[in-house]
Amino acid sequence: MEVNEQLIRAITQAVVEQLQKNGGKPQNSTVSGAQSLAGKTRMRPKHSYEGAVKAKQGTDPKEIVIGVGAAFQTEINYTIGGIPLDEVLRNVRAGIEEEGMVSRVVKVLDTSDVAFMALQCAKLSGSGIGIGIQSKGTTVIHQKDLYPLTNLELFPQAPTMDLETYRKIGRNAARYVKGEKVTPIECTNDPMVRAKFQVKAALMHIIETEQLDPEKGMIVWEGGK
Amino acid sequence: MKRSKRIEILDQRAVNKDGFIDEWPEMGFVAMHSPYDPKPSVAVENGVITELDGKKREDFDFLDQFIADYAIRTDRTETSMAIPSLEIARKIVDIQTPRKEILEIVSGITPAKMVEVINYLNVVEMMMGMQKMRARRVPGNQAHITNLKDDPVQIAADAAEGALRGFSEEETTTGVARYAPFNAIALLIGSQVGRKGVLTQCAVEEAIELELGIRGLTTYAETLSVYGTEKVFIDGDDTPYSKAFLNSAYASRGLKVRFTSGAGSEVLMGSSEKKSMLYLECRCLYVTKGAGSQGIQNGSVSCIGVAASVPAGIREVMGENLVAALLGLECASSNDQSFSNSDMRRTARTMLQFMPGTDFIFSGYAAEPNYDNMFAGSNFDAEDFDDYNVLQRDMQVDGGLRPVTEEEVIRVRREAGKAVQAVFKYLGLTEVTDEQVEAVTYAHGSKDTPKRDVASDLMAADDLMKRGITGVDVVKALAESGFEELAESILNMLKQRVIGDYMHTAAILDENFQVMSGVNTPNDYMGPGTGYRVTGKRWEEIKAIPHRINVNEF
Repeated sequence: MEVNEQLIRAITQAVVEQLQKNGGKPQNSTVSGAQSLAGKTRMRPKHSYEGAVKAKQGTDPKEIVIGVGAAFQTEINYTIGGIPLDEVLRNVRAGIEEEGMVSRVVKVLDTSDVAFMALQCAKLSGSGIGIGIQSKGTTVIHQKDLYPLTNLELFPQAPTMDLETYRKIGRNAARYVKGEKVTPIECTNDPMVRAKFQVKAALMHIIETEQLDPEKGMIVWEGGK
Repeated sequence: MKRSKRIEILDQRAVNKDGFIDEWPEMGFVAMHSPYDPKPSVAVENGVITELDGKKREDFDFLDQFIADYAIRTDRTETSMAIPSLEIARKIVDIQTPRKEILEIVSGITPAKMVEVINYLNVVEMMMGMQKMRARRVPGNQAHITNLKDDPVQIAADAAEGALRGFSEEETTTGVARYAPFNAIALLIGSQVGRKGVLTQCAVEEAIELELGIRGLTTYAETLSVYGTEKVFIDGDDTPYSKAFLNSAYASRGLKVRFTSGAGSEVLMGSSEKKSMLYLECRCLYVTKGAGSQGIQNGSVSCIGVAASVPAGIREVMGENLVAALLGLECASSNDQSFSNSDMRRTARTMLQFMPGTDFIFSGYAAEPNYDNMFAGSNFDAEDFDDYNVLQRDMQVDGGLRPVTEEEVIRVRREAGKAVQAVFKYLGLTEVTDEQVEAVTYAHGSKDTPKRDVASDLMAADDLMKRGITGVDVVKALAESGFEELAESILNMLKQRVIGDYMHTAAILDENFQVMSGVNTPNDYMGPGTGYRVTGKRWEEIKAIPHRINVNEF
C-alpha cells in the first residue's frame, strides 16, 4: 500500500506538471489559492487512431474479449492503485488461459462507461462473455444477454485491486464460458476510498473520456501482447 | 528547506489525506457558480415556454425541453421571474413568509434563477430555509443495511437493530449483483422485527429493482438516477422521459419512489459542459419534479468526494438540498457516503442537515460497521451510534435515532435471524444454520460470522426469481412457520400499495402503519414557538443515553 501511494503521488505530480506545461499561461490572478486552470479545456492531446483496425465479431466459442479503455497504455499506464496496465492485462489473459479459454484484446473508443464497455465486448466475443477494464483499473465481467447495468461480476473499487484479483477475474470469466458453478471473487471494500481517490478518479476518467473516438468503435489492440 | 515541526504535525492530520482541487470551470470543478452558467430568462407564448435561461426553444436539449414542458408553472413564471432573486432569497429566510408562499413563487422560476437565489444564501441562511421548507413536520432518518458477504441473516439482524434504533427507511444493496432477491427479502423481514412500519428498498440495476418492487419484496425505491447534462443521460442509456416512465411503472403498482441526483456526477463522468455543480443539480431537480416524483435523494451522494474537493463544495451540497425542498420535493439529504478522513470535517458536514432537520437527514446511515457498507462507506456508521445519540441530546435536536439497550438489540437480532431461517427453509432456499443465527445475533459485522456457500446461495436466488416468489409467499412462509405477528406486519406493508397514501410527499409510516407525510403532517415552522419542537416523550427518549452517571450508586 505504501508503494502504491508513492506511485500515485508520482503520477499526480506528473499530471500536475504536464497540466502546467500545457495550459500554464501565467495569469495575473489577484485571487490567492487558485492555480492557473482557467481556460484549460483538455488534460492530454488527442491520440490519433488513424489506420486502426476495427475489431471483428468473434466466432470461437472459447473466446473471451477483453475491452480496455480509450486511454489504456497510451495516456495512462498505471491503474489508480499504481499497478502497471501491462501487468493487469497480462494477468487477466493468463487467468483465462489457465482455464483453457482464449482471450482477445480490443480497445473501446465509443464509450468510457465500464458497464457498456464490458457488455459490448461480451457481444463481440465468440463465447458471449466479455471483460471491460477502464484505465484506472475498474473492471466488469459481463454476459451478452444481461441488462447493461447489471453484470456477472463488478469490481468497483479499483484502488483495492491487486494483480492476483485480475488473474482471478480472467479465471472466473473463463469458468462462466465453461458453464461451471462459479463462486464470485470475494468483494473488497475500503470505506475511505472516496476520500482518498475520488478526485483522482475524476481526473483519470476525464483523460479517458476525452480520448473517445466514437466513429472508430472497437479496434484491435496489440497492447496485450 | 529545514522543516517546521508544527507544519510537519499538521501535514500528518487526517484532513490532509482528503482530496482537494482548485476551481476549474472548464472541467466542471466549480461548486456554486461557473462563468459559463446561463443567465436567468423565460418567455412564454400561448402557454408554452419558448425561451429558457437564454436559450430559444429550437436550441433546447432534452433536459431544457423536459423542464420547460413539465417542471415550470407557465401561468406563474413571468410573475415569479420578475421578483428579484435577492428578494426571493430573503423571503426564504424570513420567518414571516410561510412555506406555501415560497413554494408558489419558486414553482415559476427557472433553474438559472434558482442558482442566483441560492448564491445569495450563506450556510446558516440555508439551514434556516431548510427548517421552514422541509416537507414533513418531523425529520426522519434512513439506514444502509449491507455487508461484505451479502449474508442475508446479517442483513435481517442489522435491519431489525436499525429499525429498533429509529430509522424510518432502510436501504440495502449487494456486493454480488445476483444476491439482490435474498438481500431484499432479508431486509423486508428484519426491518419489521425491529419496528413495525419501516420502509425497505434494494438498490440494484433498475429493471431488477423494479421487478423486486412489483413482487412486493421491497416497499419503496430510490435509485432512479438523473443527471444534469444530456451526454451523461445518454451514456447511461436514458432520458428524462425514460425516467418518468420508470417512475410511472412504480406508481402503477402503488410503490413509493424517489429519484437520486447530486453534485459531481457529471464531473466524474467527464461531461459537465463547463457548468457549476449547483446549476447542473438544479436541472436534475427540475427533471425530478417534472417527472412527477414525490422526492429526491440528493446532496452530492456518491460523488461527494468531488463536491467536497472544491471551494464552497459543502455549502453547495446544503444548497442543493434546499433547492429540493424549495421545489416541494421530499429531500433525503445524503450524508450517506464517506468523503473525509477527518472526524471533525465529516461531522461538520452533517450538521448542516442535522440541525435544521430534513425529511431524511441521512439517505443511508451505515447501520453496520463501515467495512461492511457496500455503498463504499457512509459518513456515519454503527460505531458512531452513541456519538449521534449524544449530539441529539446535547442540542435537543431530533436526528431520527434513539438510544437502545443491549438486551433489546440481542433480542431483535436473534428473532430476525430465526425468521429468515424459517422463511428460507419454507421456501426451499439455502440452509441457514442455528450456528449462523447465533453468530449474527452477537456480531458487530461480517468479520464475526461464518462463511456462506456463495455459489449455492446464488443458484437459490436465481431459482427464487424463476419461481416467481412474491411478498405474499414471504407472508405465508412466516405465518406457517409460527411467526404470525411478523407475517401480519409484512402483509400490512404490502397493503400500503393498495391504499396508496404513502406515495404522498415525504411519507413514512408509524408503528401502527399510519402515514405521516408532508400532506397530513406538513411542516408548519414559522419562527420561534412554531413548528416541530423536541419535547415530551420523544425528548425523554433522547435523554436516556447509556453511560449516564448513576448518582444513587456514586
